[in-house]
Amino acid sequence: MFGWTGTILRVDLTKGEVTREATDPQLARDYLGARGLGGHIVSTEVDPTTDALGPDNKIVFAPGPLTGTFAPAAGRFNVVTKGPLNGVLAASNSGGTFGPELKYAGYDALVIEGKAAKPVYLWIRDHEVEIRDAAAVWGHNTPDTTDLVRAETDEDAKVSCIGPAGEHLSLISNIMNEMHRAAGRTGVGAVMGAKNLKAVAVFGSGPVKVADPEGFKAAVMKARQMIQAHPVGGTGLKAYGTDVLVNILNQTGALPTRNYQDGYFPTADKTGGESLAAKQLVRPKGCFSCIISCGRVSKVDNPAYAGYGEGPEYESAWSFGADCGIDDLDAITKANFLCNEYGLDTISLGSTIACAMELFERGIITTKDTDGVDLHFGNTAAMVEMVRKAGEGEGFGVKLAQGSYRLAESYGHPEFSMTVKKQEMPAYDPRGVQGIGLNYATGNRGGCHVRGYTIAIEVLQNGAVMDPHVTEGKAGLDITFQDLTAALDSSGACLFATFGIGGAELTEMLAALTGLDYTLDEFMLIGARIWNQERLWNLKAGFTKADDTLPERLLTEPIKTGPSKGEVNHLDQMLPEYYGLRGWDEDGVPTKAKLKELTL
Amino acid sequence: MAKVLMIHPDKCTGCRNCELACSFEHEGQFRPGASRVQAYTWEREGMSVPMMCQQCDDAACVTVCPTGAMHRSTTRANLVDWDESTCIRCKMCTIACPFGNARYDAASSAIFKCDTCQGAPECVAFCPNGALEFVDDEQQVRSRKKAYAAKFKEAFQEVS
Amino acid sequence: MSDFVGAGRHEPPGASPRGARGMTVKYFATIRTYTGETGRHLDDAPADLRELLTTLAGRYGTSFRRAVFSGGELSGEIIILVNGRNVRYLQGLDTPLAADDEVSIFPMVAGG
Repeated sequence: MFGWTGTILRVDLTKGEVTREATDPQLARDYLGARGLGGHIVSTEVDPTTDALGPDNKIVFAPGPLTGTFAPAAGRFNVVTKGPLNGVLAASNSGGTFGPELKYAGYDALVIEGKAAKPVYLWIRDHEVEIRDAAAVWGHNTPDTTDLVRAETDEDAKVSCIGPAGEHLSLISNIMNEMHRAAGRTGVGAVMGAKNLKAVAVFGSGPVKVADPEGFKAAVMKARQMIQAHPVGGTGLKAYGTDVLVNILNQTGALPTRNYQDGYFPTADKTGGESLAAKQLVRPKGCFSCIISCGRVSKVDNPAYAGYGEGPEYESAWSFGADCGIDDLDAITKANFLCNEYGLDTISLGSTIACAMELFERGIITTKDTDGVDLHFGNTAAMVEMVRKAGEGEGFGVKLAQGSYRLAESYGHPEFSMTVKKQEMPAYDPRGVQGIGLNYATGNRGGCHVRGYTIAIEVLQNGAVMDPHVTEGKAGLDITFQDLTAALDSSGACLFATFGIGGAELTEMLAALTGLDYTLDEFMLIGARIWNQERLWNLKAGFTKADDTLPERLLTEPIKTGPSKGEVNHLDQMLPEYYGLRGWDEDGVPTKAKLKELTL
Repeated sequence: MAKVLMIHPDKCTGCRNCELACSFEHEGQFRPGASRVQAYTWEREGMSVPMMCQQCDDAACVTVCPTGAMHRSTTRANLVDWDESTCIRCKMCTIACPFGNARYDAASSAIFKCDTCQGAPECVAFCPNGALEFVDDEQQVRSRKKAYAAKFKEAFQEVS
Repeated sequence: MSDFVGAGRHEPPGASPRGARGMTVKYFATIRTYTGETGRHLDDAPADLRELLTTLAGRYGTSFRRAVFSGGELSGEIIILVNGRNVRYLQGLDTPLAADDEVSIFPMVAGG
């Protein structure tokens, strides 16, 4: 095979068995890899009603066909499993260099099943695979785990691991790759923790082969030039990182503030990418095969929050910033560093702390609940302390580490949890940007922006423009973006490549790489197939139409200040059209005709 | 006048496009292990440094080569060339190079070292950050020197 | 025109005194490298966006002018919000301006 390695590696931790099987060429063609192929494995092998933290759940690490090649910004992989935060068919996407290394070791996917009797890590060196005792690394944070595992395996091994949060089965724990890149969402870290799997280390020396080298190089050169010529892909993201979004969302009136109580934060500029570049940026960083370099190597000198690491991204700058009523970038960056070390999702934890702050201000919880900490919005030191507590699994932090839904529900007020399908929404207020609300509500993994980034059109004027305040046309826009992104995620490419190229260029690269006659139509059909595969599995897991909604606040409480003052989200005007265009019935169930069209 | 490969670690983001371009050019596939250039990253410091053959004038690999397979090119200035046909794969060059920039590859039975892609290095073409440059020897440090001179200029401007 | 009171290069425009009269213009990302400041107050509001940008281009020079205009029209790579609304949903360069309007000028930005 070209593009794919042709082998899937399977490790049963209960039995201590390692097996290999051939990658099915038809499945590879129809699902590409990563999110799609990994999703197919989980959806056919894992019972949707199984306990996500039980031994019957499986966790798949899968790169895509483009991963490991010089296709621009295409070094990604997905962690696919039944997600413990909310029970969906979860795929969590990460950059870094782990995905390509797995490919060079010879695998299109690594499937991990069962549960080890005691803490272990996996060491994969090409065809040699060992399940090793992890007694010496259990309990360590993610950078130390990475170093310790390398010391025991190979200094150049790529290490994917969990921190203490994943060990404590935090439902918002992530998996960290090479210390700084996260498979962040849906609580995938807890699945590793539940399996007693601390880390996966891999070193690969094999090739990724190309069907049409000349054609592939030509397609790649074209895609590179388009990204480099784009104001965002070429220069903007490298200069300011993703945190540059703080100001434009705030000036649009869609920067969720104080747990979504408002959509405008007057001092947001202090937390934006411009401030980050001026105060903390050491240098830009790129993932494998990246030509964009949005990563931030950053340093905080302020003794109260001193640290060195990577971040923050826009989402983290918002969740620990405006959403907590905080404008101290040093504290925000420190919170981000701590999350990376403990292995916690920055979006979910920041939003959960914001939720706790609202509960505190409303008197639903008091200092008796918070271990004596004053949790008013804007209390910077308290925010950082809560991150530490969540990471350590200490006191009130135990509740925070389960996410905002369970936190708010435990006090009888789930309405203050800013979640969709129990997953925290990211940094775009659906009252100020209508289409993103539809995307959150229909999100296959709950509140999430990276699977239908309508913001690109509704706010960022990327290629086309649509008024963020209108609902008309948003169902179609959202579906196009959801399908395109499902296929893109499964190819191994980074979403940011779309700040420069589109489905046509991705299709061209895939065709030349694999030697298959992919067309843009087939690429989009693959995306729709993957989206519907996730939908079907979620329906079997118990989700219904009733879960395709937004927190009541966004539908009934208007934004109080700023440019979007007075706005609410009009989901009811978009959802029926969305179901119709999707080929789903009025209960949101894919019709037989649709499934036939998608060969599902 | 001869062109030299210059590395600028301060501009390297660790993306390893250089390794991909090199292995694709030489092997027709993506295998960073077969690349003649390697970009190493220290994650804790967020620093990356590309490493490749420096085409030494007084090259240890050339000195130790018993067959003359590793030799200074007679057709191209500033290039240490490797002749596949006269090489006996004794690997002395890989032992002698103090930078580790020559290595033996069992899969292809070859010595991997930078050949500057016959004067048009692919790693330079693919580096998105200007961290690798192929420049005339007389210009090789000009940008670096001038950038530092600019700092002096600012300092002196303040006191004058 | 008057500078923001105390508006240092990296201080937010929000640092301007509350209740200051006149129009506010805010700059972001690379636009700040062309203007050397984060924003300005204008005592007298220009009639429309075209007049405002022409005045600002006169003040900040070629880099700014090239960023906002393309052949006399609004550049496709500039995002201008008037009171939070993209002028592409208003009247583009002909968008009328009033005394207390807030105008935000962005280059194309993105992330996620």
